[in-house]
Amino acid sequence: MTFRLTCPVCGKRDVYEFTYGGPERGPRPAEADPGSGSQAAGGSDPAAGSDPAAGSDPAAAAEAHFRWAQFRMNRPEPHEEWWHHGAGCGVWFSTWRDPATNREVPPGGTGAGGHEASGRDSS
Amino acid sequence: MSRLPPSSTERIDRSRPLGFRWCGRALEGFEGDTVASALWGAGVRTFGRSFEYHRPRGLHDLEGEGSSQLVSIDGVPNQSAGTTPLREGMEVGAQNVRGDPRFDVYGLLDRLDRFMPAGFYYRLFHRPAWAARFFQERMRGLAGLGVLRLDVPERGERAERYLNADVAVVGGGPAGMSAALEAARRGLRVCLFERRPWLGGHLDWRVRNGRPLAAEVSALAGELERIKSVRVFRHAPVTGIWGENLLTGFQCPGTGSRTGGGSAGAFDETHWECRARTVVVATGSIERPLVFEHNDRPGVMQVDTAVRLARTYGVRPGAAAAFSVGDDLGLEAALDLASLGVDVRVVADARREGHDEALVAALVEAGIDFRPGWAASRVRGRSRVRRVELAARTTTGAGSGATVGSAGGGAGDSLRVACDLLVASAGRQPDIGVLSCAGARFRHGERTRTFELERLPPDVFAAGGVLRLTDIEALTSSGRIAGLEAAAACGANVRGPLTRERARLADRPRSARGSSIVRGPVAERRLAPGRKAFLDFDEDGTWKNAAQSAAYAFDVPELAKRFGNFGLGPGQYRVPGQNLAMAMAEIAGRPIGSFAATTVRPPVVPPSLATLAGPNHDIHKRTPLHDDQASRGAVFRRAGPWLRARYFSADRECLEEIRNVRENVGLLDSSPLGKFRIWGPDALRALQRVYVSDMTRARPGRCTYSAMCNDTGNIIDDGVVVRTGEDEFYFTTSSNRAGTTVEWLRFHTRYDGWDYNLVNLTDALASINVAGPNARRVLEKITDAELSDEAFPYLGCREIEVGDGVAARCLRLGFVGELSYELHLRASHARYVWDLLWEAGAEYGIRPFGLEAQNCLRAEKGHVIIGTESEQRVTLLDIGMGWLWDREDTASGKVGAAALRYCEGQSGRLKLVGLRVDDPAGDAGAGTARGLAHRPEDGALVVDGERIAGFVCTTRRSETLGWQYGLALVEERLAEWGRSLDLYESLGRRTVRSTATVVPPHFHDPMGQRLRIAPEGRPRRSGEAPSQPAPAAHRRSPVRFDAAPARTERRAGWNVVLDYESDRAPTDVMRQAGLVDLSHRARWDVQNRDIRTVRPFGLDVPGRPGEVAVRDGLMINRMNGTQASVWHVGPGAAPAMPDGPHYTDTTDSHCWLALLGDSVPGVLESVTNLDLFDPARARPFLTQGPVLHVPCQIVTWRDDVVLLAFSRGYGHTFVEALLESGRRTGLRPASERVFTDWIHALKS
Repeated sequence: MTFRLTCPVCGKRDVYEFTYGGPERGPRPAEADPGSGSQAAGGSDPAAGSDPAAGSDPAAAAEAHFRWAQFRMNRPEPHEEWWHHGAGCGVWFSTWRDPATNREVPPGGTGAGGHEASGRDSS
Repeated sequence: MSRLPPSSTERIDRSRPLGFRWCGRALEGFEGDTVASALWGAGVRTFGRSFEYHRPRGLHDLEGEGSSQLVSIDGVPNQSAGTTPLREGMEVGAQNVRGDPRFDVYGLLDRLDRFMPAGFYYRLFHRPAWAARFFQERMRGLAGLGVLRLDVPERGERAERYLNADVAVVGGGPAGMSAALEAARRGLRVCLFERRPWLGGHLDWRVRNGRPLAAEVSALAGELERIKSVRVFRHAPVTGIWGENLLTGFQCPGTGSRTGGGSAGAFDETHWECRARTVVVATGSIERPLVFEHNDRPGVMQVDTAVRLARTYGVRPGAAAAFSVGDDLGLEAALDLASLGVDVRVVADARREGHDEALVAALVEAGIDFRPGWAASRVRGRSRVRRVELAARTTTGAGSGATVGSAGGGAGDSLRVACDLLVASAGRQPDIGVLSCAGARFRHGERTRTFELERLPPDVFAAGGVLRLTDIEALTSSGRIAGLEAAAACGANVRGPLTRERARLADRPRSARGSSIVRGPVAERRLAPGRKAFLDFDEDGTWKNAAQSAAYAFDVPELAKRFGNFGLGPGQYRVPGQNLAMAMAEIAGRPIGSFAATTVRPPVVPPSLATLAGPNHDIHKRTPLHDDQASRGAVFRRAGPWLRARYFSADRECLEEIRNVRENVGLLDSSPLGKFRIWGPDALRALQRVYVSDMTRARPGRCTYSAMCNDTGNIIDDGVVVRTGEDEFYFTTSSNRAGTTVEWLRFHTRYDGWDYNLVNLTDALASINVAGPNARRVLEKITDAELSDEAFPYLGCREIEVGDGVAARCLRLGFVGELSYELHLRASHARYVWDLLWEAGAEYGIRPFGLEAQNCLRAEKGHVIIGTESEQRVTLLDIGMGWLWDREDTASGKVGAAALRYCEGQSGRLKLVGLRVDDPAGDAGAGTARGLAHRPEDGALVVDGERIAGFVCTTRRSETLGWQYGLALVEERLAEWGRSLDLYESLGRRTVRSTATVVPPHFHDPMGQRLRIAPEGRPRRSGEAPSQPAPAAHRRSPVRFDAAPARTERRAGWNVVLDYESDRAPTDVMRQAGLVDLSHRARWDVQNRDIRTVRPFGLDVPGRPGEVAVRDGLMINRMNGTQASVWHVGPGAAPAMPDGPHYTDTTDSHCWLALLGDSVPGVLESVTNLDLFDPARARPFLTQGPVLHVPCQIVTWRDDVVLLAFSRGYGHTFVEALLESGRRTGLRPASERVFTDWIHALKS
């Protein structure tokens, strides 16, 4: 596997210079009020839907936090993700990439600028 | 010796004979020979035995296309005889042989082939179970190629080279050279890689009508040499193309030159990588072997092999020859060999029509028996060819694609010819290896009967023989087109020339007709046709094996390849690749082009593993106190990037070291501790985000201990925070986390847009820990500062001066459970202060202690180490540190708080407990006792009946306590004091059970009095002078060159070398390359959200990252949106650091080097893949990226002057590796004067 990423400061560089920061998933959800207990969410199904807006409900807040912190879909389609240019300028940035081809794609992931999956990265 | 008369095409030097040994026999070849040509020239016919059947194999190909020509050289196995240049004194040996290669003991295996059908080892020998192992061991002894000899040391220098190009050209034939020239004329950077030691491709050896064709392209080669923007790499095979046009390969330096004999350098190989914007692939074509019975006998060879033996090496391939070919090049070869005196008795051409009429006429004129529509069907002879059987092909039309039928036995359509050479080929096929790696797709062509290019990946272009072009005009024309297309992809305007060139190519004749023949005619009377007709020589894959694969339903090429091992050997796709696809179609009775050729995978050409391993520099960080600790007997171990002292004696329990700290005073080098400065209006908010505690409590002069968690509440780091100003803090992290802390803070505040600045001071500041009851007595001897309990209590933090006015931040901490002071001071001062402490502590018997002693000391105290007493499942609460968490704070969005809240009341979690290991010797009635207390290993399991219920983190024998103690993570229900735990260990084949009792995890001084209260004796009051005047402070660079200083100067505490004996003449240095240590020169970090409002030293910060400004002896490098570095390049003295929070003195953070001289680009090319010499960028410019895997700031001032700064700790190993890598290009240490002279010259 070898591909490059475009650092907003340094330009195109080898992926080995970067560390992965996970997919873009928005800011951390607000915490629940510490006054109330939070055990209700203990047995809930992680895949089940929840209402992240319920900031005052400890169970819902725990659920929302769980989904935010733990849940990853890993779909093989273009998505936005975070990278840190640790071996270079030290900047965190987000970029769109298609994990099926390992190529960066324009924001929104239309794939117009992407290269076709050509089996070049043989494993 | 069977050498031909000299010819103009040959590349051997007959005046320089080279002696070598073959299987113990002394033989002779010439300078310029390969091992293979020298062997054949000396009459050797059998080079080795085959992989499975031990059949004799000889010289079939010269390009490493198969394993037949693999030999061992000087004890190193699997060397390609066809491509390895012969050197004086080489020891060449045959492979897979018992005894002499001509009379191999295992040769009878060849008769047992019926018991070894395709895939037999998968299907047999696995029942009963013991049989698998038995047969595996037996077969390993019989099958295989070379034998790895562990007694032969690995030889040769392995270097690396990283190239950046606009256009990379693969192949230096007429097409490749034309492409490179065309692109270079447009000002593009071009790298051309040729696998042979010379340019010219197949024109190099071809002779037509008595005229060598090399002359046609010698002008091209000459022009390439003259254009500066083209770099030609000879003897440099490409091993693969990877994502976004990354080419990899290797180069054998020194070959192809007339450097003279000796085995030195025979194993030198350079691994190279080339990042190219575009690639032109002009790999040409290779032979497609003809498959017939015994087509592997020594004496059967490819057309190219026969011609090159004669034309390149002057070796007579054979005395009497038969030809069975499939294209015009084969006919040309027959004529050429005939003209050289080889007795060509018959030329069979598998094609019935479509021949070059001129060649046919010439054959007839030469009186050679020419038979169109015929092919070889069988070879007679065992260890060499004695007779060849040819037969007419009976099916209608060579191009029909139908199954080739069998020839009848009639005398009219078969022929037997006595000869010792059979030149056999089914035709030529494009060498698709590199293109296939790049992701190109191929389709079988009806006319050429080969796999033709169907689709190219983006930014890859093809030219020449790989497109099935043959005449020279078409080859060069297609090369020019590819070069222009590549230039266009790089942004050049080439529309006009491209249109003209395309029209020119369209006028050329179409590519020649090829033959679809795979297998020679088969006589129907044969019982098992294809038994000894080899599709793949490497793994002895026969036609019959392919048919068997198909019968087992592995009936497409990719499946048959795996089941029957076709193309899995060293030759990969070359011998069987396209033949396999065509053979599988023929076996299935389908049209010949119905299957695609199997995918080619890198390495297309096998490099040696040692080359891939590379120079293998051991790059790590060393503390400023490394050398002194080494001289005191330290045993070092890697801890993260650092090399740290683990023990100071042979006693691995470190009892002496521990006792000394508990009772007296010890010194610990804790420099790898993470140390950071954070400031700005939002600095506190950032700390509140990542630390679990309430950071508003952090006060000046006081250490606040806290921890960091991740989003799942796992503790990941701990350290102390000290407030150093209104919006400014100093904090420490555990050693292994130092590298990721900046990343962590920025990541967890990435949505907030907060205004804070961070400087990593880990390498800038050394840390020395003075620990033990006598610590204060030692420290007060080197400082005037007040150290009493009242003035400097436990957890205090004071700015003090030690020795000759050296500033130090002193933290009174107690990780080891004793009175201890941690001195954080400039790394360059560390050795000076360390020496002062030794002197001051001498009267107490001060001793160093290492990591292991510290580990025992802190464990006795019950202090945790993150990662030892915690793991992925363990939260802050589980290890009993929940008191750190500010659970009322929900506004800061503390990382991990939500998870901690979630698992606060959860049951069934692991908990940290103390252990007292039961001593069976003291426990009457314990049956397992052997009189010795067994100490459970770290990591021993805690079991509850049959279940695993936790594990032991650390156990040690404690002299202080008199028993074995430990820390363990166990399930909560077992975590009651006084409870007995069962421990289980598996040590090799032995399992050991022991028991331990749960105790509170604070063994030593549970009340912490030793930390807080001064030991007996009167602390010195303030104002009293230290007992002795301190020597003058000095600073040290992390770099010490192995060169003799001729003149030095004392400058602000630094010893600066003005001259080395070796660089008295700076112009000499500039002609090659000099490495100057500038670490003593001042550097500053400048940070601010709006960096341009800060004008350091009254100068403007450049507007864009990567830009560099030089003024008034200062160089300002814009690093990113908010940060710049200022370097004092001189001439003149360095100014003082301006006041203001934006500035941090980073002189001690980095090792700073200058590289000067003409070969600087070559030196840097061997250590980094960064494009430091992009001609499109205005100099000077800044690049931030890895050199030798170390993150660096690199300023390209000019092509011969480069400045380089990186973390100070890497200084020693980095410089060592750099000098080693640059040795070949003449890099050597140089003094500061070489640099200052250059600066002065620049000024004037």
